[in-house]
Amino acid sequence: MVRDMVRESRFLAKDRGALFWLLLAFILSIISVAFGVAEVRDQKRTIAELVEEDRADRANALEGQEDWGGAAYYAFHLTYAPPSEFAFAALGQRDSSPWKHRIRMLALEGQIHEADTKNADFGLVGRFDFAFLAASVAPLLLILLLYDLRAAERTARRHDLLLATAGSSKRLWLPRALIRVMALFFLLLIPLWAASVMEGASLNVMIQASVVLLGALLIWWLIIELISRIDASSSVLLTALVGLWLALAIVIPALSKAAVETRQPLPNGGKILLLQRETVNDAWDMPKEATMTAFLEDHPEWHGHATIEQPFEWKWYYAFQQLGDMKAAPLVDQYRSARLARDHEAGVFAFLSPTSFVERSFEKLAGTDAASMIAYEESVRHFHAQLRAFHYPKLFKDEPFDRDLLGGLPAYDPS
Amino acid sequence: MTSPLEARSLSLNREGNAVLNGVSFAVAEGEVFALLGGNGAGKSSTLLAFLGFLEPSGGEILVNGKSVADDIAAARSAIAYLPEAAALYGHMTAYENLNYFLDLAGKSVKKADYDDALNRVALPIEARSRRLQSYSKGMRQKTAIALALLRETPILLLDEPTSGLDPVAIDEFHDLVKDLAGAGQTILMVTHDVYGACQVADRVGLLRRGQLVGSFAAENGERIDTETVHAAFAERETA
Repeated sequence: MVRDMVRESRFLAKDRGALFWLLLAFILSIISVAFGVAEVRDQKRTIAELVEEDRADRANALEGQEDWGGAAYYAFHLTYAPPSEFAFAALGQRDSSPWKHRIRMLALEGQIHEADTKNADFGLVGRFDFAFLAASVAPLLLILLLYDLRAAERTARRHDLLLATAGSSKRLWLPRALIRVMALFFLLLIPLWAASVMEGASLNVMIQASVVLLGALLIWWLIIELISRIDASSSVLLTALVGLWLALAIVIPALSKAAVETRQPLPNGGKILLLQRETVNDAWDMPKEATMTAFLEDHPEWHGHATIEQPFEWKWYYAFQQLGDMKAAPLVDQYRSARLARDHEAGVFAFLSPTSFVERSFEKLAGTDAASMIAYEESVRHFHAQLRAFHYPKLFKDEPFDRDLLGGLPAYDPS
Repeated sequence: MTSPLEARSLSLNREGNAVLNGVSFAVAEGEVFALLGGNGAGKSSTLLAFLGFLEPSGGEILVNGKSVADDIAAARSAIAYLPEAAALYGHMTAYENLNYFLDLAGKSVKKADYDDALNRVALPIEARSRRLQSYSKGMRQKTAIALALLRETPILLLDEPTSGLDPVAIDEFHDLVKDLAGAGQTILMVTHDVYGACQVADRVGLLRRGQLVGSFAAENGERIDTETVHAAFAERETA
């Protein structure tokens, strides 16, 4: 087998057509990885700048405050999901889900759902990252490398001579195809590994990503092998394989997406925003007692501290802000559950499409999948709850404002 | 004694059509047997059956006394096959082609042996390091013949081997075939060239529409009479 591999690697070295596709694969891998690294570094730089600005802005905002309510109102807090060390390989949901927010202690859900993605337009077509290359482009390159191994020899009337000389087809087609698959694998992998080392990705993730890529190439090799055994011309085989690629990479994922969306309807994020804001706005016109009664049903611990005597009191203001979140909570739950259910079903449908499966696997390894983005949103809610836990005792117990205590404000921890 | 090549009541079908129908012959060691026939007579199919590419629909095909169907790899390892207008790789030189195919056959050959074989087929030295895409049809055929020589197998199957060769090269090739047979190599060639077959073969079989319809053998050290075979061939073809 080793001798066969050496022979076929020498043969490959003289095959200009195959070398062209392999070189293209290498260049595309470099481009995809470079693009991902640049994007992730840009995101990291943005986060670093925002962290600095956030600290300065908050200090500035708190400087002139004289009560706890104002301090809570004017102090913004940056929350963010830092990209993982492997995010460069699969930007995934970071294109379509917001990964940073600037929140304050007002009603939270509106703040989460009004946030925009950095480049929502890219979300429509997807990024040219390594996951896209591995999932969608690599199979095409493999098809171009393998589709006419047999057919071209038949056309050149060399097929029988080759087989008669080799004795068995295993000594010919297996090493000839294997050397191409391995060459493509390593040429795609080298830039990925180089960038992984540069960005500090763990060896475990690198190995898992390599296994995913190898698995994808082997599955496509099997598909190509089965089709190319048909005794047909090169052009017929190419047409059949490209058609199959279209079905597996475009049609099935699109149909799966449509099926998942039909089966798991998702409430519009805008509806959450609207419902929460309407509740908050309506509160200005409602009797304060009604607001506080509703608030105390959920927060009985502030019973005895919830009497509103002035035309405006911060605890009343923050109580109706929270009522806005409470009113939107069922819709938020529905939204989150539906996203998780969609993600789960999409995972099941991904078994029908190697392309979807590879993309999802890379997104999972990179921490850019839907579950990761939902987890980030949960971390924002958790942080917001910490803000309320910090401010509520001071507001409801009418504690005197003490600037020194602001040093104990919760800090967002993205880990 | 076991014949290196033997067809026993061989019948072949290709895409539903009968190509050979109950053909029997044996080729002895060191013998040159030429199957002569017109287009579609089943000549090339006979060779492909010996290589295991076509499965008999009837009868049996044997190489060195063993059924090809039982061990195709063993049959192929005993045979060097020269297809009609053998298309070697045009993007490789003669040396590279020989190196590739011999490696594929699992054979290690010294470069000096390459030159010996290429000298025997009279391929110009200056051409040997050029890519085959610049070769004439005859030069490509010579390279393929050199490959068959270098395989050093006990059996040679030749499909229209002089196709594309000039008259001088054809004569040289015939001498080469006689030398090989003289050295003990068993040769089955299929051709529609009556003159060539009679020049080189110890026996000539006439194949017509899948049946062996005549046989002529060289006797008393003389060549087979071309006129006789030609007359039989013409008669059979027009019958």
